[in-house]
Amino acid sequence: MDEYLNKGIKELIVEFPKTGDVLQRYNIGCVTCSVGTCLLKDIVGIHNLSPDDEESLMDELSEVFYPGREPAPKKAHRKTEFKRREIKYSPPINKLVDEHTLIKNFLALIPDIIRTVDINMEDGRQLIKDGVDFIRSYADRYHHAKEEDILFKYFDANLDIIKVMNEDHQKGRGYVKGILQGITVKDKRVIAEYLNGYRELLTEHIKKEDEILYPWMDQNLSTSQIGEMFGRFNETDGKFADTETKYRNFIKELSNKIQSPVQIPI
Amino acid sequence: MAGFEGCPGSKMQDLRSKEKEKGGVATAMPSQLAQWPIQLHLISPSAPYYQGADVLLTADCVAYAFGNFHNDYLKGKSIAIACPKLDEEQDVYEEKIKSWIEDARINTLTVLIMQVPCCMGLVELAKRAAASSKRKVPVKYVVVSIQGEILKEEWLST
Repeated sequence: MDEYLNKGIKELIVEFPKTGDVLQRYNIGCVTCSVGTCLLKDIVGIHNLSPDDEESLMDELSEVFYPGREPAPKKAHRKTEFKRREIKYSPPINKLVDEHTLIKNFLALIPDIIRTVDINMEDGRQLIKDGVDFIRSYADRYHHAKEEDILFKYFDANLDIIKVMNEDHQKGRGYVKGILQGITVKDKRVIAEYLNGYRELLTEHIKKEDEILYPWMDQNLSTSQIGEMFGRFNETDGKFADTETKYRNFIKELSNKIQSPVQIPI
Repeated sequence: MAGFEGCPGSKMQDLRSKEKEKGGVATAMPSQLAQWPIQLHLISPSAPYYQGADVLLTADCVAYAFGNFHNDYLKGKSIAIACPKLDEEQDVYEEKIKSWIEDARINTLTVLIMQVPCCMGLVELAKRAAASSKRKVPVKYVVVSIQGEILKEEWLST
């Protein structure tokens, strides 16, 4: 089994396509990852599975890699539905998770924005520009900057999962350029395409961070590093004094404007 | 239904075993204590070793129950010890914890307690001090069983 545990996930899925199905059953969504160089052993380790689930997963993968081989005797067959352990974040990581909640509120509004906006009207174009300002100022400059400039710096930049997250941030910036291009040419189809692309990308990105990356980082940061990071986040927040309030109000107003109220966390 | 068996914190338990008699490290383990005094009534929160430090606030019994206390928790940290059940004038404790956070600008506070219910008082004390402080720091609490296992390690919301 070791030979496969030390292989990149993409390579394994190409060689054994059923690997993807097995991983999906355990809510491990690496199948769609564009990089796919994370080793199987790291993927299993990082996904916060209970010991029983991890054992079951390894059994199922073994059947995929060694078809026909007599399976090892099982201690107990897993009958209960897969349940992820409850996640408790450290204070600085919890701050990032809270910021994700506001970004997710914006993402949830995108279908209604696309449905209701009239980009031939100045008001409609301004609404899209305001959305782009939220993405750039809150999601990217305020939130992603804390990740890229502070959190990720505590880890090896060559880690595949960090590369994937940075790549997602870059892709997000690309979608924003596309949205602005759509505003310039007043083409709703282009705007919708890039807004939807951004929504899909960030939804998956946030899920990966909240459920996999952040808990793993919390486990690997020392108490002292957590304290230091908390202080540095507070310094950064101090530089963006009104950002949090401004964009919480923006989402509330946007929600009312397109008549699709969302719950804004306090 | 079992009858009331008295205070769990004072209930007698015999933990002797043959395995324990055989166990333990053969080599001497150096102390990780880097300051004196350590009792919370005796310490000064403005002492230099608290400035910007990762501070450990430990219930008196923890260091006896948890075999690897020095290496796993004390190493690299400054400390104070207290007993939330027996110590008097605990309002002074609250002020000292607050002073750690605000004046000594500590980096983190880790509260180590035993699993007995009365020990939770030390966590509550730290929570009150942290909540009333203008400055915020991450506060964690760790629960140790009387057999010396870590039962829980969790960050408190700030």
